[in-house]
Amino acid sequence: MPSSFALACHNRGRTFQCHGDVHHMTQSLNANIPKQSIALSIKINGTRYEREIAPTATLLDVIRDELGLTGTKKGCDMGGCGACTVLVAGRRIASCLALAASFGEADVTTIEGIGTADRLHPLQDAFIRHDALQCGYCTPGQILSAIALLAEGPLSIDDIREGMSGNLCRCGAHANIVAAIAEVGGL
Amino acid sequence: MKNRTIARYEGTLKVTGQARYEGEMMPEGLLHAALVESPIACGELQSLDTSRAATLPGFATLVTHEDTASLKPSAATALIREKAIHFHGQPVALVAATTLSEAREAAKATQASIAARTALTQMGQALDQAYEPAMVGRFPASTRRGDSAKALSEAGLVVWRRYTTAVNNHHPMEPHAVVCWWEGKKAVVHTCTQAIFGTRAMIAHAFEMPPADIRVLSRYLGGGFGCKGQLWWPWMFWAMLASRKTNRPVRLELTRAQMFTLVGRRQETAQDLALGFVDGRLTAIEHDVIAQTSTHAEFSDSTAVYTRFLYACPNVTTRHSLVRTNEPQPVPMRAPGTAPGTFALESAMDEAAELLGIDPLELRLNNFADQDQENSRPWSSNSLRECYRVGAERFGWAERRARSAAKVGRWKIGFGMATTLYPAIRQACRARVALRVDGSLLVQCGTQDMGSGTYTALGQIAADALGLSMDKITVELGDTGLPDGPFSGGSQVTASIFPAVEAATSKLRAALASIATADTTLPLGGKPPEDLEFADGMIRSRSGNASERLTGVLARAATDGLEAEGESPATDHQKLAASGMGYGAIFVEIGVDPELGEIRVRRVCGAFAAGHILNPLLAKSQYIGGLIGGIGMALHEQAVTDAATGSILGKSFADYLIPVHADMPAFDIAMIDEDDPHLPGGVKGIGMLGTAGIQAAIANAVYDAIGKRIRKLPIRIEDCL
Repeated sequence: MPSSFALACHNRGRTFQCHGDVHHMTQSLNANIPKQSIALSIKINGTRYEREIAPTATLLDVIRDELGLTGTKKGCDMGGCGACTVLVAGRRIASCLALAASFGEADVTTIEGIGTADRLHPLQDAFIRHDALQCGYCTPGQILSAIALLAEGPLSIDDIREGMSGNLCRCGAHANIVAAIAEVGGL
Repeated sequence: MKNRTIARYEGTLKVTGQARYEGEMMPEGLLHAALVESPIACGELQSLDTSRAATLPGFATLVTHEDTASLKPSAATALIREKAIHFHGQPVALVAATTLSEAREAAKATQASIAARTALTQMGQALDQAYEPAMVGRFPASTRRGDSAKALSEAGLVVWRRYTTAVNNHHPMEPHAVVCWWEGKKAVVHTCTQAIFGTRAMIAHAFEMPPADIRVLSRYLGGGFGCKGQLWWPWMFWAMLASRKTNRPVRLELTRAQMFTLVGRRQETAQDLALGFVDGRLTAIEHDVIAQTSTHAEFSDSTAVYTRFLYACPNVTTRHSLVRTNEPQPVPMRAPGTAPGTFALESAMDEAAELLGIDPLELRLNNFADQDQENSRPWSSNSLRECYRVGAERFGWAERRARSAAKVGRWKIGFGMATTLYPAIRQACRARVALRVDGSLLVQCGTQDMGSGTYTALGQIAADALGLSMDKITVELGDTGLPDGPFSGGSQVTASIFPAVEAATSKLRAALASIATADTTLPLGGKPPEDLEFADGMIRSRSGNASERLTGVLARAATDGLEAEGESPATDHQKLAASGMGYGAIFVEIGVDPELGEIRVRRVCGAFAAGHILNPLLAKSQYIGGLIGGIGMALHEQAVTDAATGSILGKSFADYLIPVHADMPAFDIAMIDEDDPHLPGGVKGIGMLGTAGIQAAIANAVYDAIGKRIRKLPIRIEDCL
């Protein structure tokens, strides 16, 4: 945890507010017993949420357990499966590897924020038509990853396959997932 | 029965993140649980020191084998009632705390003292202790038809080889989870299970409660593939005990690492296979399987069972034996038995074809079994030869000679093919349908949708039976409050629900027909019921232009709507007039980079014949998904036990590789529709078919490409160098 903590701080800047100073927090991390809570103010899908969270809480656990946005899934909790993919300022990240405390000024988008049953995002619609899901557990991560990937500008079907390879699927919906993404991306 | 493409019933809920999986329930006062694991593979628990854990913030309770003494002994409670340690990572306690991180901290702070014993950590350490189980699934472990030893001694050609397959783990994307609580003496259990009624029955047994006091829910299931079954029960029981001790709801969710040890795996096999031929015809088969099981439970895949009848052969001997090790317990996994079994048989057939100088496809056609020789009865239907023909044509198998060992860029190209098969059987099932006066229909069945499309199939069968559009249908499943439905396994659900829903809807049709024809002044008055058809929300006369809207009929004499239940029995194996089996032929093109050993599956053509296909869109998805699972077994997946400690090495997706998007070949799926008068609705299961056969097809293609015969799975880079 300390290394990912440092990484997150380095990448995102120290944007969290902390009860007590950072030095104190580091001590409690070292003791491996996070006793404090910190105040998190985080914007998800355009809504600002204020919560007291453990300083070590991952963005994924805050999204699922604190905010009840369970569309974001926990498949491995170590950045290996992509089920927890969310968008931060339009870029895809594994929220299980992100320290929630460092996302106070970020603009986070989860599956609940991209479309609803009445107004589906084009990728959501394409996933249904192409039957790009079976059990559905990897699906939110696949769709968010695909949204970011299309913004990255893939040039070919192989680019899509390569760019989506961090999102595992065990039912085996890969072919239909890539077909759905390619259709929306005009490839 | 209609064959039509309907989008996945629950698709919108899943793509919008609104489908709520059972581990995502958040009742007030929820406690989180974590497991304390044994750091050694064999021994006996002496004591647990919880003094430090109990002082940690958030700590609520600890559950151990002592608490479990209150549960009734059974196979499902053995592991948690006793102090014996059978494998590395076996939980010795469950800790519940206010938050998940607090639960994990408390679990880490709990010290277990274990008296260690020498562990057997690999099958190879104890091959001399192999023993024969009584049964392999529902089949006898050993069979002998004719005299294979004599026939082998007289054969013109004998292929006798050992094939091995590795341990695979199921790894559904959703880890096992339970959220449970008690309401007085009643239990509510939200859990991912492939068998809600089996789970309820085992809770009832263990806790000595009436089943009616237990509600098990599994409405969305993030995959299963065989592992969301009995091995989960002990840990789920502990969560229920923690809830009872604290009088608070408890959630236990396995970590990905625990998915390697606690919920089953495909057992490793070593298979000795001998094929004897005279003039290109099989005269003898011997198939001996040795496989691993744990020291605390017994399981054997039906690995050699399919060898008993796939080909025509008068002399067949098969044997299964098991070796107990201090490793995790195996359970069925995607295409259990057929996946490892066809790897051996279909690889050996390819080797035989090579030695006989005959095309592998032709060798299979020459040895086609036109009846089930093992059970001395006909096939209910068997379109395997059509699978071979259609698959070969679509794939371009005839180009094999010209293209074999050709190079495309850095890739040496190889073609391979193999056969797949899986039995078509059914479980008992009940279903309820309720037609409301507005013409909408509720369909209820207590089965689960593992992701295979059961919501859609239930809705579609009922909609078609009453001539309703899918937007009029509501499907409810995954709740023991509903009529008893089948467990999700063995490719049986669609075949099981079809006759039950058909029985229920036929009662509704009869009731509607009787209302529609009662009043002779109305258009359908006096028409015989058999003249009526249900379509487009109407009841129509086949013989004339008369029709009436379903809603009109309901409004006239059934303003409270109409309800009916239907049920259907399980397959009676003792009384079968014909053997039901689904078949497929798998053709693959691979590329091997001879410098790097890299293997790529370039394209796969699967031609399948599995009775009547309800929904080609979802069926195709299932076939492709199965093939991808098979590619994983063929080229990627292998769980390795550390011989010294008995721990599984690399318990993560970083080390246990599964196929990803970049590994995908092009897929071409041919579905050969069959009329099967022996099976209700002509429905056979399809889920397992894709996951067998392809392993041998890939191995055979590797041989075709680089001339190396690889008789082990997975086939890795180092095998091709």
